[in-house]
Amino acid sequence: MDRRRTSILIAALILPAATTGCGADDGPQRPQVAYVTNGIASFWTIAAAGAEAGAEAFDVDCDVRMPASGSEDQKRILEDLLARGVDGIAISPCDAQNQAGLIDEACALTHVITHDSDAPLSQRLCYVGMDNYAAGRMCGALVREALPDGGTVMLFIGRLEQDNARLRRQGVIDEILGRSFDSSRHDPPDQPVSAAGYTVLDTRTDQFDRSRAKANAEDALALYPDLGCMVGLFAYNPPACLEALRGAGRVGKVKVVAFDEADETLQGILDGEVHGTVAQDPFRYGYESVRILAGLARGEEGVLPADGYLDIPATVVRADNVEAFRATLRELTGASR
Amino acid sequence: MSSRALLEVRGVSKSFPGVRALERVDLHLDEGEILAVIGENGAGKSTLMRILAGIESRDDGVVAIDGEVVAPESPREAAGLGIALIHQELNLADNLDAGANVFLGREPRRFGLVDRGAIRAGARSVLERVGADFSPDAPVADLSVGRRQQVEIAKALSCDARILIMDEPTSSLSRAESERLFTLVRALRGRGVGVVYITHRLGEVTELADRVVVLRDGRNAGELRGDEIGHDAMVRLMVGRDLTVSDTRSAAGPGSVRLKVEALATEHSPQSPLSFEVRSGEVVGIAGLIGAGRTEVLETLFGLRPRLSGVVSVDGVALDTRGPRQAIDAGLALVPEDRKRDGLFAEMSVRENVTITGLTALSRAGLLDRRGERRLARDLVERIRVRTTDIEQPVATLSGGNQQKTVLLRWLAVRPRVLLLDDPTRGVDVATRHEIYSMIEELARSGAAVLFASSDLEEVLRLSDRILVMHEGDLAGVLGRAEASEEAVMRLATGARGGAVG
Amino acid sequence: MNKTLGILGLLVLACVATALINPQFVSAYNLQNVIRWTSLFGILSIGVAFVIITGGIDLSIGSVVGLVGCLLPLLMVEHGFSPAAAIGAVLGLSVAIGLFHGLLITKLGLQPFVVTLCGLLFYRGYARFVTGDQTQGFGTGFETLRGLATGKPTTVATSIAVLAAGALLLEVLRGRREQEGPRRGPLLAAGAVFLAALATGVFDPGGLAQVRAPAPFLIMIVIALAAGLFLNATVGGRYLYAIGRNLTAARYSGIDTDRIVIGAYVACSALAGLGGVLFALDVNSVQPAMHGNFYELYAIAAAVLGGCSLRGGEGTVTGVVIGAAVMRVLYNSINLLEIPTQLEFSIIGAVILLGVAADELVRRTVARRRRGGS
Repeated sequence: MDRRRTSILIAALILPAATTGCGADDGPQRPQVAYVTNGIASFWTIAAAGAEAGAEAFDVDCDVRMPASGSEDQKRILEDLLARGVDGIAISPCDAQNQAGLIDEACALTHVITHDSDAPLSQRLCYVGMDNYAAGRMCGALVREALPDGGTVMLFIGRLEQDNARLRRQGVIDEILGRSFDSSRHDPPDQPVSAAGYTVLDTRTDQFDRSRAKANAEDALALYPDLGCMVGLFAYNPPACLEALRGAGRVGKVKVVAFDEADETLQGILDGEVHGTVAQDPFRYGYESVRILAGLARGEEGVLPADGYLDIPATVVRADNVEAFRATLRELTGASR
Repeated sequence: MSSRALLEVRGVSKSFPGVRALERVDLHLDEGEILAVIGENGAGKSTLMRILAGIESRDDGVVAIDGEVVAPESPREAAGLGIALIHQELNLADNLDAGANVFLGREPRRFGLVDRGAIRAGARSVLERVGADFSPDAPVADLSVGRRQQVEIAKALSCDARILIMDEPTSSLSRAESERLFTLVRALRGRGVGVVYITHRLGEVTELADRVVVLRDGRNAGELRGDEIGHDAMVRLMVGRDLTVSDTRSAAGPGSVRLKVEALATEHSPQSPLSFEVRSGEVVGIAGLIGAGRTEVLETLFGLRPRLSGVVSVDGVALDTRGPRQAIDAGLALVPEDRKRDGLFAEMSVRENVTITGLTALSRAGLLDRRGERRLARDLVERIRVRTTDIEQPVATLSGGNQQKTVLLRWLAVRPRVLLLDDPTRGVDVATRHEIYSMIEELARSGAAVLFASSDLEEVLRLSDRILVMHEGDLAGVLGRAEASEEAVMRLATGARGGAVG
Repeated sequence: MNKTLGILGLLVLACVATALINPQFVSAYNLQNVIRWTSLFGILSIGVAFVIITGGIDLSIGSVVGLVGCLLPLLMVEHGFSPAAAIGAVLGLSVAIGLFHGLLITKLGLQPFVVTLCGLLFYRGYARFVTGDQTQGFGTGFETLRGLATGKPTTVATSIAVLAAGALLLEVLRGRREQEGPRRGPLLAAGAVFLAALATGVFDPGGLAQVRAPAPFLIMIVIALAAGLFLNATVGGRYLYAIGRNLTAARYSGIDTDRIVIGAYVACSALAGLGGVLFALDVNSVQPAMHGNFYELYAIAAAVLGGCSLRGGEGTVTGVVIGAAVMRVLYNSINLLEIPTQLEFSIIGAVILLGVAADELVRRTVARRRRGGS
């Protein structure tokens, strides 16, 4: 945030219409692609940096759109893009099952791929992202490391309607309980499941309201005085857990295992308050999505990955590699601003 | 009396919280009869008519049409029984044309759509019957009050009404328009319609009515027919005694000029500036028909409406009328016409209602002196005998008269130099009305200048030292006590020139 | 008063039921949390109560909370403002927002619903724009400042004892000033509360003496006292109720209605701003698009539950604070009783509806009895 931005702000107050100032007109001949996220988060800021880097490298215009209020906003954005006639859309569907129809509609008009969260029932051309179930299992392994002698575990997540959220959570549970690989399994959220000394008590959702996220963590601490581990599955959940633990004076007594790479999470790993996290590579989500869309727009079908899935594996971050990871991250986001 | 009346009312009673509006009232109406129902404000006329028209429910008693007991529970049901009520406030949709209003609520349809052709044809014939000189396409908003009334009557006729109830139909008509209405009413009588005619104007009763029923304090006070119908007889029944003009006012005569109004132009009639003055100790009444601009003058003086031009001064100091706050600071007070809408805080206590204007004087460093407030409220309430034992009682539970006294008390608390009152006894029972008159006179005696507007001529004649008569925004004339009479006022109010202006 | 007792009964009922089913409810840790959330939402509710009493509404509260929550860390972390300057700036902005609403509503005659609905949209969009949709936070610094929201300077028992003692003293002083002696009811109530708090502090039953008072609780108490004093004991407070009962009658009585109404909107937005500061300090992670969403509805619901009428002219500070407490206890018990979270909104909605309907039925019964008696 520099001073120039501040002065734009003031101008924007007077001229609200002038706020969408990113449409640099380099000429109509460059393909236009769009990168649609499922919400607004720092995670998506990194992905947007990747998408912009991709646009630079593959000579396309990329429009990054972040819906503020979930699927209905996403629908509106998608319709606007289709009306404008873009050459390709990469989308992270908020609600894969119910948006299949919408995505198919878009497929009829342009090239559509999914990223971050897949919509396997739709006709999207491919999926760029990580296998959330596998990543969940990596996270579950971290829980077993943090609680070698077993114990109770609470899960915290924004919402469960999204495919990635559901798979991620299932992966965590299956790994903790030592079950076989089967991503189609489903445990209902509010029934405890246990095996071999581990109990997954409950999964609390907050619908992206951070006050709720913190209150959920606090209530769990109040309810279970002997809680062993809190797992925060969306980027802001681990920091909310840490805040609650600080308030309760139980930092270190209750383990925290994280997902994603929020600043507070990484700092927590450094300080020994968080056992570890599973980090995705959002920069590459953005970059690879734009690469594929650019190719498709120019008629190069070869850019599509085999079996429609480009795996961008997650990384496990613990105390031993957190410094290096943070340095890379800073480089990426620093370059983007 | 025929053996089987068109309409028969037996022993009807009705109570509102705190008020007994009707007490075992009887009434009958024959076919082709004009029955005048008279009584003072609050005598129960309007309540009775609202019960007949299905707007209010009755607590007790029987209503029969052609000998058959009925109980209309909505205006729609009443209309189905052949009863139509022409309201004091006309009930027309301003935004529609005359024809659409005649058929409002029962539009003829074709294929599920409103059949405009049928409306126009039907409305034209029924409007002709009431002697209308305008087309069914005329927008109601453009019609004069008299013509709007014709629309209302046409509407009633189009539903085959056999019983037509008219609530003060001439209160806002010019003399010529009233004459036309009388002709129409007589024609309806000829066709067998029974007309219940409610009015304050006793002259009309003598001219029009076959029979008169007088109500007083919610009861039957008597009945007059044929030659018995005369002004004095009616007044005696209405008031319950011979009306002696009380002359309680001091003979000392008014003092210095308190309120001076020079070339005041109001929004209502910017073209006719008004000039008059009111002296200390003087009570001046403003008379005029509805719409003559009485309320507008009072509200402009009080800063509720913009003053377009002119100078108003109180005790020689020019008045700043940006708003009521400034007017009150200059010593003005206004008792509004519609106390429910503009005066009372209905759910708040009597104490809170009477002290609201004097709170700043009762506070120290911003904090209320609650004990002082209670004392003030008790003093005020005792002084004029508001019939309430408890100053913490919500004002809504008081009778209309006591509510009106509460609004007056609010101003006694701040001792105004100029007291403005708009229809001060509207809907107030007779006994309380006299108490309000003595409060007003007492205030005048103590040196205040009183300026009041009223649609009740008797009230104006009784209270005023001088009467300002208004006609369509103009000051049509000023009448001193000696020259004031009902006829003189009406002549000026309906547009005839005369009287000494100034 | 009856309303306040009714809602207090509901609060006690919810607390006792939850505590019986899950004793963790009365653990010091959980009570502290419930009290902190109650206080944060209570501050917003007191603000909106002012506006509701005038017969208005403020839908922009949540967006003001969001905007303030974004600007505070932005100013401090990115622009290097000192905490005092940053808090001053955002509170000043909140006051300006309230003034803006009030002027539009009184001088231009716009409807409160419309004005504040536009506010809701505008401030939310502006917050997202200023921050570029970046999540804001104070990081690990500013621990002292964050103590305003997360600190626990004293125990609840102590603060309640101090409050009760103060009430006792005030009643004695009032009795002397009005030369009628202190009234027995308030005196006994305050005395009983004082002794109960003292006994709790000394004997520590069930560890209740360990329950520390979160800083927002103390802040809310101060605000509630000031608001209560204003509404009950000043001319301005009386005018506020009168305006809510009958705006024209208030004008005809010479009350400067515009000034009072503007004041109410300023108080509402200022308290929303203060709440926004505390929420941001507490959560430490402010997401511009989401932070504070729906908080205006929680605040309005608490105010209505606490006895405010959306028709205006009614409402007490005590009722509103208790209303906010009921909402937070319900949220807490849904989690503690392990009721499926999906039912959360349904339960809260049902309880508010029941409360309001019960109140209306009681009111009618009383009115009917009064009419029958006269």
